[in-house]
Formats: sequence, structure tokens, C-alpha cells
Amino acid sequence: MVEITGLGGIAVNVWLVWIIPFVGAAIIAAVARAGIKIRDYTAVGFALASAVSATTLIPLALSGSEVHSQVTWISILHLKAGVLADPLSVIMANLVAWISFLIFVYSTGYMHGERDLTRYWFFMLFFIGSMQLVVLSDNLLMLFFGWEGVGLASYALVGFWYYDRKKDFVGTEGHKAAGIAMWASPSHAGTKAFLMTKAGDAMMLAGMFLIFAYSGTFGFKELIQNQGWAAQMAHQNLLVPAAILLFGGAIGKSAQFPFNEWLLEAMTGPASVSALIHAATMVKAGVFLVARIAPLFFAIAAFGMTQFFEVVAWVGAFTAFLLASQAIVNPEIKKVLAYSTGSQIGYMMLAIGIAGLSTNFADGYTAGFFQLISHAMFKAALFMGAGALLHVVGSRFMTDMGGMRKYMRKTYIFMLLAALSLAAAPLVTLGFWSKDAIFAAVLGSGYEHALPLFIMAVVVAIMTAFYSFRMIGMTFFGKKSEYLEQLEASGQHPHEVRPVVWVPFAVLSIATIAIGVVGFAFGSQLQHTFSTYLSTYFGITEQKQIQLLHNSVTTTPLVKLQQQPKLFLGLNPIAAAASFGAFAAGGFLGYMCYIAQKIDPGIVSNNRVTSWIWRFLYNRWYLNSALYWGTVIGPLAIYRLVWRYFEFTVMEGINHTFEFSMTSFSKVVKSAQTGITQTYLFVFGAGIMIIIMLLLL
Amino acid sequence: MAEQYFLLAATFLPLLLSPVSYFLGRRSGLNIVTWFSFGVLLVSTVLLFVPALTLNGGHIAYSESYAWGQFGNFGLRLDGLSLPFAIINYIWFTVLIIYSKPYINRKIIQDALDRFGSQTPSQSTSRDQSYVLGVDEKKPVESFNVSWAESKYITTVNIEQQRYVNSRLGLYFALFMVFAMGTLGMVLATNLIEFYVFFELVLVPSFFLISFFGYGARQRTGMMFFFWTHAGSVVLLLGLLSIGFFAGGFDYTTVRTHEGQIPIQWIPIIVFAVVMGLGVKLGGFLLHSWVPSSQSNAPIPVAILLIGIGTYGILRIWLDLLGGNYAQYSIYLNIWGLATMIYGGAMALMQDDIRKILAYSTMSNMGYILFGLGSGSVLGVTGATLLYVTSGLGKAVLFMMAGSISFQTGTFSVSKLGGLAGKMPYTAVVAMIGLLTLFGIPPTSGFMSEWIMFAGVLQTGVHDQNSLRVVLFGFGLLTTVLSSAYLLWMYKRIFFGRIPEQLGNVRDSNKYILITMAALAGLSLIIGVYPDPLLAPITSYVQGMLHNSPGVVPLPSSGGTGSAVPLAKSIMFKSGDRMSGNVADDLVALVTVTNGGINRGR
Repeated sequence: MVEITGLGGIAVNVWLVWIIPFVGAAIIAAVARAGIKIRDYTAVGFALASAVSATTLIPLALSGSEVHSQVTWISILHLKAGVLADPLSVIMANLVAWISFLIFVYSTGYMHGERDLTRYWFFMLFFIGSMQLVVLSDNLLMLFFGWEGVGLASYALVGFWYYDRKKDFVGTEGHKAAGIAMWASPSHAGTKAFLMTKAGDAMMLAGMFLIFAYSGTFGFKELIQNQGWAAQMAHQNLLVPAAILLFGGAIGKSAQFPFNEWLLEAMTGPASVSALIHAATMVKAGVFLVARIAPLFFAIAAFGMTQFFEVVAWVGAFTAFLLASQAIVNPEIKKVLAYSTGSQIGYMMLAIGIAGLSTNFADGYTAGFFQLISHAMFKAALFMGAGALLHVVGSRFMTDMGGMRKYMRKTYIFMLLAALSLAAAPLVTLGFWSKDAIFAAVLGSGYEHALPLFIMAVVVAIMTAFYSFRMIGMTFFGKKSEYLEQLEASGQHPHEVRPVVWVPFAVLSIATIAIGVVGFAFGSQLQHTFSTYLSTYFGITEQKQIQLLHNSVTTTPLVKLQQQPKLFLGLNPIAAAASFGAFAAGGFLGYMCYIAQKIDPGIVSNNRVTSWIWRFLYNRWYLNSALYWGTVIGPLAIYRLVWRYFEFTVMEGINHTFEFSMTSFSKVVKSAQTGITQTYLFVFGAGIMIIIMLLLL
Repeated sequence: MAEQYFLLAATFLPLLLSPVSYFLGRRSGLNIVTWFSFGVLLVSTVLLFVPALTLNGGHIAYSESYAWGQFGNFGLRLDGLSLPFAIINYIWFTVLIIYSKPYINRKIIQDALDRFGSQTPSQSTSRDQSYVLGVDEKKPVESFNVSWAESKYITTVNIEQQRYVNSRLGLYFALFMVFAMGTLGMVLATNLIEFYVFFELVLVPSFFLISFFGYGARQRTGMMFFFWTHAGSVVLLLGLLSIGFFAGGFDYTTVRTHEGQIPIQWIPIIVFAVVMGLGVKLGGFLLHSWVPSSQSNAPIPVAILLIGIGTYGILRIWLDLLGGNYAQYSIYLNIWGLATMIYGGAMALMQDDIRKILAYSTMSNMGYILFGLGSGSVLGVTGATLLYVTSGLGKAVLFMMAGSISFQTGTFSVSKLGGLAGKMPYTAVVAMIGLLTLFGIPPTSGFMSEWIMFAGVLQTGVHDQNSLRVVLFGFGLLTTVLSSAYLLWMYKRIFFGRIPEQLGNVRDSNKYILITMAALAGLSLIIGVYPDPLLAPITSYVQGMLHNSPGVVPLPSSGGTGSAVPLAKSIMFKSGDRMSGNVADDLVALVTVTNGGINRGR
């Protein structure tokens, strides 16, 4: 409950968390001259320093106090730069810092021998610096600096192999959907990622400016302290649009529908980059933004903001369903994981959205953040494991793998553990507890349409369990693929990767299980921390919300008061049953098809009806095609018409007409200058005659 | 206070010494003339900085004034508005002089080879005979494959060519200095006639620079440029003369005090004439016909400086001198700006020539500036002014990149390039910063100016409850996606992908080029992170300038007291007594108020 302001003491540590990686990025090129090893270790060292700096803030978060430190920035507009370390940002900062550190360690082994690694390290450090800036800034404008820095770094890293070798492409070559190529080069993918997130950023900026026009500030603390602006905006019905516009930025960054398409192509980067993007930085920035603004808006207008929270919840639920459905048919291991990320982030959005639609904000809010933590850990592990596989096999297709568990024992075990967490194996995995918390939050909310949301969430859980087992089955079980046999015939034998590569993801997957075993206690500690946080700084408590709901009957027909049945370990019986059931159903199907191989998955693609569905899913619901036709090919065709018939014909025509008329005029004048004396004399005489005649008249 | 001549010296030093430049160029060649011209411009820049330092946050102006017969006074004045324009222009000129050292030398040698045919001596120990450095594609020059390091001194041509090259060099630097002087004079002018004289004076050297040192059909381009901008100037002159006629004097101070004397029915005509006249120079939509060809055919340093200064004219003559009607007509400028933004961006997507892409991009950026100038709010105008600086920096870096790439690869055509990031890493890095500056990504300065500008446009929209403005704002913001699209696509096609076979031996740019590019890119980063030194004087000047203009939206007041909508204040006040305490307690009151408001609306 202590609030520390100013630049002294612990506040320095908060600044250092994001400044250290930037300093590292700035000097890495100079360090690289000293040698490759030194450069790599320096980068890891800076990541570690940032992580240590973040760790010093943990006591702060546990005691529920916050650090708010500001310096003058744009004085004329009274804008200050500052950092805000409250429990939310401290937990996030630690998550980002430590997972990034592990990924950095992994990179030293995984990227070994690649060229241009100075660029790689520069952008990796820049990446985590920007992310920490997003997490720790105390105002939207400074947050936006980090926000775009994250986008820029992912552009550069997704397109790291900018020389577009065929093996770095993503997608099956030759696969087209509705006339649009579904495979992409690294440079194409990077550009696409940048542009699509930019569209989201434009929305976010609009929301920021709308709030700025009324409040004159971007600061989170200032916005909550003086709420006159909100009353004005609410009066003009602009508060909800502003919030939704801000959410637009989060949609873009977190690859939620309709901006989900960039995430899949972003797999062209190195696996370590994918791990960073999916676990700690880029896509998590969007969720973090929503977690940042949701309590703010809820505290300001409570159930006056239901539309906003509805949008968040439905976008999340729909994206979760959309991407999970695509993940179950894709043959590329990293793409399956990418779809899975989008889908899991949908869960987080759903949870935070439902928080604002219930009488207990803290429940949904905690569930969303719990999911963020568990997802960050198991997804980083899975991506690093997938990277190890790609490294050994040399192909991104799961159909080129198979039977790998014999060769890569450790990778197999640790990927299996992480995949179990993704599939939410009951009671022992972190993924189970977080998913169960979301189910319980959805059920426990008084939201009118909670049931369809709950059903969608359960269906997604079934699909998640299925594709997790499918992925493990296709890569580690079954027979060796032809590709692998050819590889062996050519003398390359698959082998386990070096410790520096497998240890980082081993640490994470063991952690998911270790924390998973005590997942209940972890969850309730988180719940406690966030409840305290929300009630201290935003005044959001359950009693107050119930009272609010009673007092404003007319405003919120969507939300009703709901009594939550509690059972042993605080589990909601229906939610728990659904979690068990979803894992059992999806897991069983996946096990039978791909691990035990009792069912041939081919029956789906051979049947006429199901093959149509399969193709629909495989072609990504044709969303990518619609995107290209609507925003690339269509506009370009229009521009070409304008270019040809307006710019080139009319505007250039002005110049030609002018030129032509000038030359014609000069020809007329020139033709008078004949140089023949007789003509001149004749004209001269005629002129004299005319003048005389005029005078005489 | 003793008479001081800082500004007079800063302005006329380049003009007076330009003949010296010419003769030095003829006699002594590249090195000496470059450093001499650089020295002169540097001294001028320093002379500008000396009085600039006495300006405290833009509140006080520094001015020098001399009697000028019946026109009033010939004055030079540095205030919050002219300061950024003057300083940034002189920084550009000074930096571009150094860029010109390798650039114009190489360019003139190419032209010389064009002119004299290829009597290149035995230098053709080239690594790659397929190198074509010819500018005119129909008439390729014989392989002339000296690397940058080797071409520092002109040793590759015979004496006759050497003489030709030297005289051209002198001419270039002399004209460049006159160009600089005209720009500065225009910015510092305190008199409408003086403004016009300098405005036209810029035209002359730029015309010759294009016609003598340009690419392609340069003489035709030069003529076209001259005709278009001169036609614009005539319209502008009509506007200026009417102002002077009605106000009874041409001095800015006279005009400002007697603004009310201008008959109300004349105001729209005068404003229209001034904006149209300057709009030509800005390449506004429908007046832009000269921009693509002039910018792509002009030599690179001139192309950078060719357009944009009209921004200052609109700010000074309309907003500053005739500010009383600003809010009334600003919406039209807003619409025109948006049309220019979108049109320039869309046409840039259609181009293959790097210079053409950048020319349309420049046009689009001028659209952003017009958009901000038409915002009708202090914030928007401030943003537009800063945008002139930042978009100029971005555009300069990218044009310099284009020039360098053409020398290294022999082509400006994007479709013939690819994968250069590996061959020209430093150029790629600096160009990226320029790129980000142009489409406004932090931490480059482009973002700093764009957010201020867009926030200003939206602020007017919500303040006036004007839905048209809000829609314009939305489209404007979406256009930033278009801007990033054509720039990123260009960057991808130049620097990413596979390297074409004939570009296997490309090397990175000359060090002069890299250093100058990096200097401007670095400046962009500095302004982007800490804009205060530049932003503070601009904002306070714009605030003072628009203070008396009715209907202009002031800066948003901080602390959430909400200046945006006076209408809502009463409601806020009603619930105010209950809002003072705990946050959550007030929610009920707030929701009720909100709901009541909505219901009343229905």
C-alpha cells in the first residue's frame, strides 16, 4: 500500500530494467569486434542484468506497494516520462525478463554459426528493452514507444534471414487458396507483420488521442486520479469507442481476429525469435495493454463499459476457436504452435473481458493473467523444443519427422511435458489450473451470454488437447518418415542437441509441472495479489460491485448477480468437470490417431464432406485470401487505374498541352521571321498604309 | 544596444561568396571548393545560432531592420516560427554540401563522359565490365569502374574534360550557395515584398541546378519546374499585393495591426490566392504535376530541398498575419491535405524508380503537413510545423540513399535491385531510420510530429462536435498505413530478397555519404526522443500566434480538468461533490449521469 514516487532508491532499478537491454543493444556492435564469444556472452549478460534488476522488485509486488517515478519530458505539453512498477507490471516484467534470459542462453547454442549475429543480438536486446518499456511505462505515449519498438524488432527478426532462402520460407510451396499464395518468404512475412500491426496501432493511436483530447494527459495514474474527462466522454458516448479503439492496438499486436493473419507467417524467423515473440514479448504486449487499461476503465465507469468488455470477450473467444480449428490440420510444427498461441491468447482476452462483465472483477482478471504466465512458460519451452527438432531434421514439416523420440530423448521428454501443460492435463500442469480458472470465471460471471462463451471455451480446450497430442505423435512417435530415411541414407544421423540448447527449455517445462503440482496455491496467491492490487489502486472490490449492480438497474441488463458454488480447492464443479472432460476427449482422440495410431486420420480427408471442412480449415478459413484481395490486390488495381487514367493522362497531359501550345505559338511567331527583305518591306508598307488610312478617317 | 548584423551576415554571406566558390572550383577543383563552401555555410549557420541562443523559449524575437524606401523596412527576424525553419534548412544545406562532394563529382564525370564520349583512359581494369554507370539508359557510358575510394580525385579524365568538370563544379557550388541564401532570406523576411523577392530568388538557382546537373530530360524538367512554380508565384504575388494595398503597408507589423482593414469579402480571395500560390510549391493535390518529374530529375541535394518551404509561407502569411479567419477556412486545407496524402501514397505504390517513389512520398508528406495546418488547433499546427522538420529529415536520408545506390549499382530501378542489405549494411541501417522517420515510428522524430499533429486534428473534431473532422482524422490515420506500405515495400525490394547476379560486386557507400546520412538520421532520433528544444519555441509561438484567432482550439489542459467540451462541464459539476472522494463511490453517480445524458439525447 506504500506508494513511492521520485527517482531515488528502488525507482532506479525500475528504470534499469528497460534501459539495460537498450544499452546492451547500443554497444553490441562495438563489442562484436572483440570476438564472437564475447559478443554472445555480453548479450546474455545484459539480459541477465535486466532480469536481476526486475527480480529486485518482487518484494514490492508481494507487499502490494508501487513505485512511480517521473522525469520531465515534453515540458510544453506538460507530459512526463515515467515508470510505474505496480504488482501487475512487476510480475509481467519478471516473466519477460527471465524467459528472455533463457531464450538468450538457448540462442547462443541454437544460432551458433549463423552469420550476421550482431544484428540478431542487437534486435533481441532491443526487443526485450522495448517490451519492458511497454510493461513499465506509466503513460500511454511512452508505452507506445515500446509498443512500436516491439513491432520494429519483430519485423527485423521475423525477416532475419532476409536473403529469402527457400528453406526459410513458411507454408507449403504451391499451396494457393482463392488465388492467393499461402507460402511466404521471410522478408515478405516481416513486412506483413509490420503492416498489419500498424493498422492496429492506428486504431490504438486514435483511442489515445481521443482520451488525450479530453484529459490532456496520457498517464495511467493521472487518468485514474482525476476523472472529470471520463464523465465528459461518457456524456458524449465516446468512452466506449475510445476503449475499443485502444483495444484495436491489442488486437493487432496479439494477433486476434481480424488481425490474426500475420502471426502465422511470422514463423519465418529463427525458432528462438518465435519463442520470444510468442512467450514473452510481441503478442503478450497486447494482452498486457488490455490488462493495463481494463481495470482503469472498469474503475471509471464500471457497468457503463459493458460493451467494451463484451467486445474483448467475444473477440477472444472467437479467435480462440478460429485458430484452434486451424491448428488441428496444419502440417508444420511451428505453425501449429503459432495457431495455438493465437488461440491461447484468445483465452486470456476472454478472461479479461469476462472480468468486466461479472460482479467479481478480480476472478476473471486473475484467470487471464494466470493463463498468460502459464502460456509464456510452456509455449517458450515448446518453441525451443521445436527449434531443436528443426535444427536436427532440417525440415519444418511434421510429416518429415516421426519416430524422433528414439534419437532425441531429452527433447522428447521436455516437449511432452510442455505439451501436456498446453493440453491442460489435469491437476499436475500449470496449463490446467489457468484454464480451469478461466472456465470458472466464465461460469461464475453474471453475464447474460456466458453459456455460449463457456461452450466455445470448452470446445477450444478439446481441440487444444487434440492438436497437442497430434503434434507430439507426428513428431516423436510412429514410423520414421521417408525424408528421415533419406537423411540417414545420406549419412546424417539425427542426434540429441547440445545441453546449452536443451537445458533452457528443460528448465521451463519442469517449472510448468513443478508449479503445476502446487498450481492451486499459486493461483490463490495470484488471486490475492491482484485482488489487493485492484482494490487498493482502483477501488474495485466485490462488495462495491454488487452494490453498484443493485444501484444501477437500468444500465446493465446484461450482467446479473451470480452466486458461485465452491468446492474443494475452490474449484467450480462444472468448470472442473469440463476441464477434465475436454482433456479426456481431445487427448483420447489425439492419442488414438497419432500415438497409438489405431485410427487413421486419413478418413477425414477421404470423405467428401469432411474433406471440404478440412480444406476450409487448411486454407485458414480463406481469411488470408480475403485479406489480400481486399487490402492488397483490390486497392492496387484501383490505384493502377487512377495512375493510368488520371495521373498519367490528365495531370501529365497538362504539361504536354502547355508545352504543345507554347511550341505552336512560337511556330506562329517564328514563321513571321522569314528573313526575306521583300516580305518585311511589304508588311512594313502595308502597316504604314493602314496607319495613314486610320489617320485620314 | 549596439547594432548587430548576425542575420544580415548569415543571409548574404553565401551570396557574396558564391562567385568566389565558382572561381575556386574552376581553378582548384573539388576538395577546395567543397570545403570552402562548407565553411561559408557553417559560418552562416553559426551566425544563426548566436541570436537563436538568446531566444528564450521563443518568447522574445531577435530582429534587424533597415529602411527600404517605399516598401517599408527590409528586416530579418528570428522568432519562434522562423527559428526552426532557418536552422533546419541551414543544417540541411551544410550537410548536403558535404554529401555533394562525392556525389556531384561523380555526377559531373558521368555527364562529361556523356558529352565527350568515352575516351576513358586505361582505367578500365574493371572487375565487372557489365557495370553501366550511364544515366541515360539509351546511351550507356563505357565501363568506368573506379571504386569510390579511387574516384576521390579526378584523375580519370583528360585535361579537356578536367577543365570542363572543374568549371561545372564551381558552378554547382556557387548556385547551391545562392539557393541557401534565398531560402534563408525568405524565412527571415519581415516584409511581404521582401518575402516575395526571396521566394523568387530561390527559383533561379534551383532552375539552373536542375537544368545543368539533373538527370534524364533535365532541361525540359527545369523549364517545367520554372513555369509551374512561377505561375504559383504570380498568384501569390497578387495575394500579397492585395494584402499590402488594403493594410496600407507591406511590413508584417503593419499588416498585423491593420488586418481589420481588409474588406471581409476580399478575405477568402486573398487567402485562396496565397494558399494556392504556396500550394504549388508544396505540391498539393492537383497542383502537383511538376513534382514527380522535377524531384526525380533534379540532382539529389536539390531534390531534397526543392519542395516544402511553402509550409513556412502558409504559416507566416495566412496563420500569422491574417489569422482572424483561420478557423473558418481551415477545414478546406484539411480536406486538401488528406487528398494529397492519399493520392501521393497511392501513386508511390505504382512506381518503379526509387526517385519517383520518393517524389510521390514527398508529395504525400506535404499532404500530412497541409492536413495539420488545416487542423484548426494549436496542437495540430505545432505538429505540422515539426512535421516539416522531421519529414524533411526522413526524405533527405532516403534521397541520399537513392543517390548512393544509383552510383553503386548503376540503376534507380527498384525491380533491378534486391538483397542489398548484405552488400550495403550501413546504408541499409541509416535508410531504415529515414524510412521510420517518414512514416512515423518511434523513437524517430516522425512519430513525435505525427502524433502531435493527429492529436490536434482530433481535438478540433471533438471540440467543435464536427463529425466531418473526425472522419477526416480517421482517414488520415489510416493513411499512415498506406505510407508505411509503400515505403516498406520499396525497402523490401531494394534491400531484401535475392541479389541479382550483376550486383555481386556492389560495395557500401562512400564515407562522406554515409556520414552525412547518419548525421541527419541521428538528428531525427534525437528529436524523436527529446523534442523539447525544438518543440518548446514552436509551440509557444504558435500559441501566441493563434491566440487572437477566434475559434482556434487551444492546447489541451493537463490534469483532466477537461477543456474539450464546455457543454459537459455543468454535468461534471453536478456530480462533482460526490466525485471528490473515493473512486469507486463515484461510479454510481457517474453511471447515472452517463445514462441520463444518453436518455436525454434520445
